[in-house]
Amino acid sequence: MTTGLTEDAPADGTPEADPRPQKNRRRGTGRGAGPRPPLRYRIITVSLLAVAALYFLTPVYWLAVSATKSSSDLFGTFGFWFHDPRPLDRLRQVLTHDDGIYVRWFLNSLLYAGVGALVATLLSAAAGYALAVYRFPGREAVFNVVLAGVLIPGTALALPLYLLFSELGLANTYAAVLIPSVVSPFGVYLCRIYAAAAVPGSLLEAARIDGAGETRIFTTLGLRLMTPALVTVFLFQFVHIWNNFFLPLVMLSDSDLYPVQLGLTSWQGYADRQPELYQYTVGGALLSVLPLMVLMGVLQRYWRTGLTEGSVKA
Amino acid sequence: MSASDAQGPGTPRRAVLGGAAAVAAGFALTGCGSDDDGEPEGRKKGEKITLTFWSWVPGIDKPVALWNRRHPEVRVEVEKVSAVDGAQYAKMHAAIKAGKPPDLGQIEYPVVPSFLIDNGLLDLTRYGVAAHKDRFIGWQWQQSVFGKAVYAVPQASGPMGLFLRRDLFDKWAIEPPATWDDYAEAAEAVRRRGAWIETFSATNGNRFAGLAWQAGARWFRTEGDTWVVSLDDEPTRKVADYWDDLVRQKLIKTIPDRQNAWYKDIQTGAMASWLGASWGDALLVGNAPRTAGKWRVAPMPQWEKGGHAHANWGGSTTAVFAGTRYPKDALEFAIWLNTDPDSIALLIENGYGTPGAKKGYATSDLDVHKDFFGGQTYSRVFAEASRGVDTSWRWGPATDTLYQRLGDAFTAAVGNGGSFRSALAKVQGETVWDLKEKGLKAEAG
Amino acid sequence: MKRPTRTEIRGARAAAGFLLPFLALFLFCFIAPIGYALYESVLKTERTGALGLGGETREVWAGFSNYAHALEDDRFTTGFGRVLLFGAVQIPLMIAFATALALLLEAASARWVGFFRTAFFLPYGVPGVIASILWGFLYVPGISPLVELADAAGWEVDFLGRSAVLWSIANIVTWQFTGYNMLVLIAQLKAVPGELYEAARIDGASAWQVARHIKLPLIRPALVLTTVFSLIGTLQLFAEPKVLKPLSNSIDSGYTPNLAAYNEAFTSNNQHIAAAEAVLLALVACVLSFGFLRLVGQRGRDGEDR
Repeated sequence: MTTGLTEDAPADGTPEADPRPQKNRRRGTGRGAGPRPPLRYRIITVSLLAVAALYFLTPVYWLAVSATKSSSDLFGTFGFWFHDPRPLDRLRQVLTHDDGIYVRWFLNSLLYAGVGALVATLLSAAAGYALAVYRFPGREAVFNVVLAGVLIPGTALALPLYLLFSELGLANTYAAVLIPSVVSPFGVYLCRIYAAAAVPGSLLEAARIDGAGETRIFTTLGLRLMTPALVTVFLFQFVHIWNNFFLPLVMLSDSDLYPVQLGLTSWQGYADRQPELYQYTVGGALLSVLPLMVLMGVLQRYWRTGLTEGSVKA
Repeated sequence: MSASDAQGPGTPRRAVLGGAAAVAAGFALTGCGSDDDGEPEGRKKGEKITLTFWSWVPGIDKPVALWNRRHPEVRVEVEKVSAVDGAQYAKMHAAIKAGKPPDLGQIEYPVVPSFLIDNGLLDLTRYGVAAHKDRFIGWQWQQSVFGKAVYAVPQASGPMGLFLRRDLFDKWAIEPPATWDDYAEAAEAVRRRGAWIETFSATNGNRFAGLAWQAGARWFRTEGDTWVVSLDDEPTRKVADYWDDLVRQKLIKTIPDRQNAWYKDIQTGAMASWLGASWGDALLVGNAPRTAGKWRVAPMPQWEKGGHAHANWGGSTTAVFAGTRYPKDALEFAIWLNTDPDSIALLIENGYGTPGAKKGYATSDLDVHKDFFGGQTYSRVFAEASRGVDTSWRWGPATDTLYQRLGDAFTAAVGNGGSFRSALAKVQGETVWDLKEKGLKAEAG
Repeated sequence: MKRPTRTEIRGARAAAGFLLPFLALFLFCFIAPIGYALYESVLKTERTGALGLGGETREVWAGFSNYAHALEDDRFTTGFGRVLLFGAVQIPLMIAFATALALLLEAASARWVGFFRTAFFLPYGVPGVIASILWGFLYVPGISPLVELADAAGWEVDFLGRSAVLWSIANIVTWQFTGYNMLVLIAQLKAVPGELYEAARIDGASAWQVARHIKLPLIRPALVLTTVFSLIGTLQLFAEPKVLKPLSNSIDSGYTPNLAAYNEAFTSNNQHIAAAEAVLLALVACVLSFGFLRLVGQRGRDGEDR
């Protein structure tokens, strides 16, 4: 993430600008080692933080508790406490119901988000790099159009995109979700800002004199120097695709192609005819959320680093 | 399209960009998709095929599995679709537009015409459906006949009835209400005991239509090429005023029915009755198993003492979508599903309503959950109701839009205290407007 | 103007090559749909055949009548007003909440920071639909332990009632995105040179004064960014009302503009009006976010010397 569109947009992003951004980077939490604030302040601070944590974690706790219950206990027993917990049975039921469709949905989600984010990152890297490193007529115009793309709500596009894809026979295919997912104007924006500062022109010039082609320079030098920004773009896009509901909802009607959340809503919608599906929906929700939450926890630090650098660059 | 194309000895940039723009523009301009009017080729002898079938009948997989055992060459694959808030039809419309509809689908009588205006269903007369006409109850068959064409095979109807907790009514010394006046009194009595008799679910257009139907309303008729909409007629107003009054007096709840909170109320007895339909037995059994033995079914309350006016809520067909490659096989399955005695037995067992077929079962077969209803032969109540349904009622096009409009208007009325009657007037106007927007001729009746 | 050098020509070619894959797909997935929506939005369907059933359909020129229909339809316009109100209340609250958390985390002792930060950020990994299903259970009376606890305390709540449900949705959005926004703000805070704080402390500034006069102005750009993204997100509200709709008697089919467009396309099956609504939505989103950027851009330039 960066310091905001306003200041950055008009920046001409010349490669000469501050080639060594790492200088400003600061790590660790033990910063500002001044005198410790008085105990009273620390207690107040931690209590406020604890209240906030309670707010953020309560629903997760509820989900974990409820995932161990049967459908009738889900309705009939107090939500914040266990009742006849059988986590493994419940888990098995979720995974095996309807010939293991849940597993398929999960893999679909991984496919959409993983492949989509990877391709989006590469495309954004190439485009951002080109906008940052080369001077050519129309460069700012292209950049501004891309910037406008950041500001258009994705869901406003999804509907016309669906109509268009229907005409082309692409609706209700994997491609219908994948193709729009690989376009990330925000990724291009971030990559340009980053590359402008992190890829020094002198280095490129030296490589050219050594006889390297532009593609080689990009793949060996550019991508390497841009790595932190690329990680940010990848994560951002991964989460974006994983969380996107409207696009697959509009595009897909075959449940074999569903990502996990669409599948779960279809279970929920059928639950009054088949009450055990309430249970599967809740269990499936917990299962689908766990990996991403672990990912959030683990990658948070790295992500934050990427964010920081993005903003320092600007 | 890899980045290395950049190294190519130089397509001029402008040509490249121009090309991309032209491609995009080309996509934008292909306004009318490919329409292939050719007759589908059908199945060759001995060829194995798979048909897809979208449905939300509980336990539909069982008769389908039976079919698959008996017809190994024509495998049918069921996909269960959500019936909440019209989700199943949204999905079908989307699939039709995307050019990839399933081969078969469960479609309720009210929405058959909505699919016709988009040419979504196959005219089955070309494949010999007429030969089966006499196997189905006449008025149900007629619901899918438009002009000379027949667009769907009747599956089941949903004659309405009053499910009630006999134990609670007895305990509180309340008689099952015979008339709507009795019902209002009963509502008050139940309320005094701290429970509720019913909820008025603003978004449940299907049930409201049933209530209006019972009162003698006729929402749609045709004059020449024109649809005449009379949503705001006297009988419908009477029904709207009645429920408006119950809501105002806070004698009934306004939560959505057949959702989490409602099921909870049904399980705990906080809701002591339900104006449901014949397919509702399975829902109660499935969602409130611990109340077994306590329920009974009574006929719908009447507007006139001793009257015998009834109505339908829902009722489904099995339709064949226009895009199928195997219309003959699809039709054969649709007929088998709804007339074969073994199939009907399985459908009944899982609760699909009152059969559209005339033969292949006995009325007493429908008392699947007799024990749940304390031994009552409750199917008789529904069979009786079925005979009292005014079968001249016709559905108009775009019923799903109408239900949505109705739901929105009632939602607003319940929330801000507007009258239900004014909601009707509003929806009447909007419906005429919607039909015209769809390119149909329509006027207010 | 001098003639372009060889290097420049070579560079331009390379740039075109690098840009091409992205731009082609951008055209296909952003520009083409907008073009297509514009095209669809000025057409309407005309039907022939008895009663319009089973006959031929034809697309004919409709001018702006679809736009007129959308704007006359009060469920669509009310939905627009609703998300604007939502944005005006929820976005400032959420950003303030995120800022407070970021500043508190900065001030807290080191040992707990990691745990809290992770806890706050976790919900960002919960997709909107799942979050809505989850909160849905926590809102439904009779099932929700929250309602149960409130009842026990003699406090009557109806999260899904007409006056409350919009704010119940706001709560879901806040729950999901506060941690993310907080993280962006922390990133910006970390980028502030530490010497600045030292200097302020030496001058005797209190923690509050440092936060108010040094930290807040410095994270302003990040605040602008998170606000713009939240604004775009708000206009797109869809999953939350869609999931809660069956549970509440207070959410209509046009509760948000997106829901209205979706229902127009798939329930009413009228893609022309749906296209017009999508165009209007995109237009308003662009105007609002550009407008906001311009507004703060101006103020920023007036206020700060850079």
